[in-house]
Amino acid sequence: MSQELSGYRRKDGKFGIRNYVAIISAMDNSNPTARRVASMVRGAQAVCPTFGRASMGPDLNQHLRTVVNTGTNPNVYGAVVISLFRSSADEISQAIAKTGRPVETYAIEEDGGTANVANLGVRGALQLMGDAGRQRREPMPWSELVLGVECGGSDGSSGIVSNPVAGMVADMVVDRGGTVIMSETVEVLGAEHLMAARAKDPATKQKILDAVNFCVTYAKEVGVDLLGANPAPDNIKGGLSTIEEKALGAIKKGSSRPLMEVIGYGCRPTKKGFVFMDAPAPGVENMTALAAGGTQVIIFSTGKGNPSGHPIAPTIKVSGNPFTVELLQDNLDVDLSAVITKGMSLADAAKILEHELIDVCWGKPTKADLLGEFEVAISRLCRTV
Amino acid sequence: MARFLILDEKDNVAVAVEPAKAGESAALSNGKTLKVNQEIPFAHKIATKALKKGDKVIKYGEVIGEATAEISPGDHVHIQNIRSLRA
Repeated sequence: MSQELSGYRRKDGKFGIRNYVAIISAMDNSNPTARRVASMVRGAQAVCPTFGRASMGPDLNQHLRTVVNTGTNPNVYGAVVISLFRSSADEISQAIAKTGRPVETYAIEEDGGTANVANLGVRGALQLMGDAGRQRREPMPWSELVLGVECGGSDGSSGIVSNPVAGMVADMVVDRGGTVIMSETVEVLGAEHLMAARAKDPATKQKILDAVNFCVTYAKEVGVDLLGANPAPDNIKGGLSTIEEKALGAIKKGSSRPLMEVIGYGCRPTKKGFVFMDAPAPGVENMTALAAGGTQVIIFSTGKGNPSGHPIAPTIKVSGNPFTVELLQDNLDVDLSAVITKGMSLADAAKILEHELIDVCWGKPTKADLLGEFEVAISRLCRTV
Repeated sequence: MARFLILDEKDNVAVAVEPAKAGESAALSNGKTLKVNQEIPFAHKIATKALKKGDKVIKYGEVIGEATAEISPGDHVHIQNIRSLRA
């Protein structure tokens, strides 16, 4: 099969593997309106973030940055932005429009309520969808691919099948000049010395150590002893003997190449190659961060199964657990259980996953795409009052 | 014959891809075989080399802990005979 990629070229030179019109809600109170618009315009993708109203300080920065960066993910052709009031809508629209993307903006207060704004949003989306439909795919270099890697619902099969195989595909992407972003900082605990040893420079090394140490300190403040609690009883039952073993299995999914950079939640890498994003581990929050970080596609390794996908970054679910691939087949894209049941080699399994990655980049919808298993949750840094 | 996967050539353990009973033969992914000394559930580890107390246990090509007792090839390697160097 062809190893080439194709994509939709953006004005900033990046490539999308999809050509989405995003219906972006600024914050929780305009989510229903954005969903209504997306449900009326087939193919439009709603981006509905949790919270966002009266965020303070670092929360405000994180919310805005994540919403804007999701709207400028390379897979986005253009956007309809909806907010309760015009100034917050404009803040987002202007940032997205700066990248050369067409944006339509509506405000519930100024534009006459949610039903009116839903109609206006539909009209705007119809125009954008038609315009987007005229754009053609062009050859896309592998160096333009930013692959996110995620794990969730991990079990005994994750560390021996789906994670190592995802890591082999991640290596392939890096070797072809692309970028791989791994995240879920707390999962590195136990193997952070190894990550640090792969860091390109002392500053990056310190950043990864600090990021992992923060997880331990913060958890302690809320009464959780991460080192003492890991591996957890179900991990131990599943065969994980030490936290080092658990973490090593987890980081296997992220490529073995040098660590080029450590970036923050929803931030964009400035380097190509293997990059680490410091972000919380829960799947929806983490994929929200990865997609804002510019990943055009996410490989999600799962043992017991997980349904979630990101609305803007197609999410490929892969499992090596023979029970999961049967029971949760509707929420799984790649079945690697033959490694366990038939002795298939990890190298052959990597070929299967690589082909799926290429197919998805060319347009194959994932199960999460087809079933609409989309959710967006922006991690919080502090409380609202 | 129960199949076991060796993840890295530097490893001194292999991982069960199917549950193994005591007395069975273990078929390692490098082609070698081993006798299984204790029951080993799916995804649990079997020692492929002899380890003394204090020896490092290697999986994924890295240290995952150290042996807390003497371990013979074919033994179940888990919390009863390996401890973390972190906690």
